[in-house]
Amino acid sequence: MAAPRNNNSSCWGVPDVYKHHEQKKICISRPKYRDGRRDRAVKVYTINLESNYLMIQGVPAIGVMTELIQLCALYGAVEEYRPLDEYPAEEFTEVYLVKFQKLTSARAAKRRMDEKSFYGGLLHVCYVPEYETVEDTRLKLQDRRRYIIRAVRNKAREKEQKEAVNEKPTSSEKATTSETVIARYEKTVVPDNTGNTSNICHYSGFPLLPFPPQEYHYYRHGNPHRTIPTEDKMGTLHNAIIDTKRLEPQSSSSCQASLDKDRGTEQRLTLNQAPAAVRFVPRTTHLENRKRRMEEAADHSLTDVTINNEPLIGPKLPEPPKLDMEDVSLNTTANLIRNTLKKVESVPDLKPVEKKVKPRRRI
Amino acid sequence: MWKKDSSEGSDRFEYLQTLVTEFQDTDSEEAKEQVLANLANFAYDPNNMENLRELQVPDLFLDMLTEENANFVEFGMGGLCNLSMDPECRDVILQGNGISLVTNCLSNQREETVLSAITTLMNLTTPSSRAEITDPAILQCMLRFSLSESPRLRSLAAVFLQDCCSQEQVARAEQQMQGQQSAVGIPLPKD
Repeated sequence: MAAPRNNNSSCWGVPDVYKHHEQKKICISRPKYRDGRRDRAVKVYTINLESNYLMIQGVPAIGVMTELIQLCALYGAVEEYRPLDEYPAEEFTEVYLVKFQKLTSARAAKRRMDEKSFYGGLLHVCYVPEYETVEDTRLKLQDRRRYIIRAVRNKAREKEQKEAVNEKPTSSEKATTSETVIARYEKTVVPDNTGNTSNICHYSGFPLLPFPPQEYHYYRHGNPHRTIPTEDKMGTLHNAIIDTKRLEPQSSSSCQASLDKDRGTEQRLTLNQAPAAVRFVPRTTHLENRKRRMEEAADHSLTDVTINNEPLIGPKLPEPPKLDMEDVSLNTTANLIRNTLKKVESVPDLKPVEKKVKPRRRI
Repeated sequence: MWKKDSSEGSDRFEYLQTLVTEFQDTDSEEAKEQVLANLANFAYDPNNMENLRELQVPDLFLDMLTEENANFVEFGMGGLCNLSMDPECRDVILQGNGISLVTNCLSNQREETVLSAITTLMNLTTPSSRAEITDPAILQCMLRFSLSESPRLRSLAAVFLQDCCSQEQVARAEQQMQGQQSAVGIPLPKD
């Protein structure tokens, strides 16, 4: 590691070149059974290496700082940023320091932007924990500890529930007894649950657009029993977070609260039938159900749709979109697909699409 | 990849078991390093912690701390840093003489290893282990780290001193340091 040039602990001091900024050589000698999808170096990630501060190298020096920060902002709120003019950079490239509000945003941004092309240049993104203050570091460790304890607790609870469910007879997909329905419904409501895998598969069918920052993700990303693997074979979970973010636990705690309150009521039971059955519906059917529901959605209020069809109830939007899929980027995608399909289906139809739906960006 | 049913959990367990087996059976240092790094990275996900516990991976990581290969030590220490966040793994590590082994890593030449060691010691702090972890020798080491040129080392050591011990303990350690003629042997990392 190069000798540090100064003792300035402020994050705006002259930067030092550290070993963990360097890209290590890719490992090519892995046996197939544990080779991942992407080429990776042999490296261990701990909480010390991760940070909500990222350094982005290789940005073409053509005045695209704004575009770069806009891109970063897709992964979460950006608190501060500045060019690192003093950091050694390749000719015609710039280096930027970006501070995200949350570690999870930084993690997602690193995963998505590292080694990607940007205005003709190849970005190299790495964590720079040396820019953290003592308080930043302390909070980082505290958040991490809290997340682990909660995740472990959830997993233990889920395991108990699973064992409870397995003891009950379950022959058909349709819920026939009230107890079974309740048990399954609980399962689909509880986060990190196998019951949600069908929802997850469904989400994975959509192109992975970046999505607006969500508040509760940090405590939820370690979900077990996912069909989308959260890690590849080399255990690099931190690179796979974004796939799992689709699962919105959102107000699952409020869901659970309402479930606990209403448990045993008939009305709840009838509402529960659909989500309980969802668990065992094959993926394509679930998609078709979704399409059908979307078409019928105009007849229902937003609340009805969410309660009837989805165990997860998201935060209420100030102006609910016409066809709600509880996720902005999914709505956008659905609209885009629908518009394209309309265009394709109606060949003689010369009416142009009125408005191109742009994915919403937040800066 | 992973099956879409309830056996996914056991698939994961079997996969981890395969890794551990390869680590134990292979003669190749390189393969061992790769597998060790994999396991340490898997230890970052709380969903794997129970499986890794059953496979006695905490003990495997602890064994790495006394190895000659610096990568083994670094990866093993990283794995412990990740695992020790889980209370049950923490207890396993404590029972396996963890504090003493991890403390030895504070004198390692690699900064990453030292950082993992400091974080692990913080994770291992319980009401019963606090006395051992706030041993004056360790506190003095942390005080020296808090004056280091490396910002990460400085910050982590500062958090340790603020969170794991009382101000009196720190003051006492400072006094003892000033009273000593020569620095007692925990060198700062070189890299």
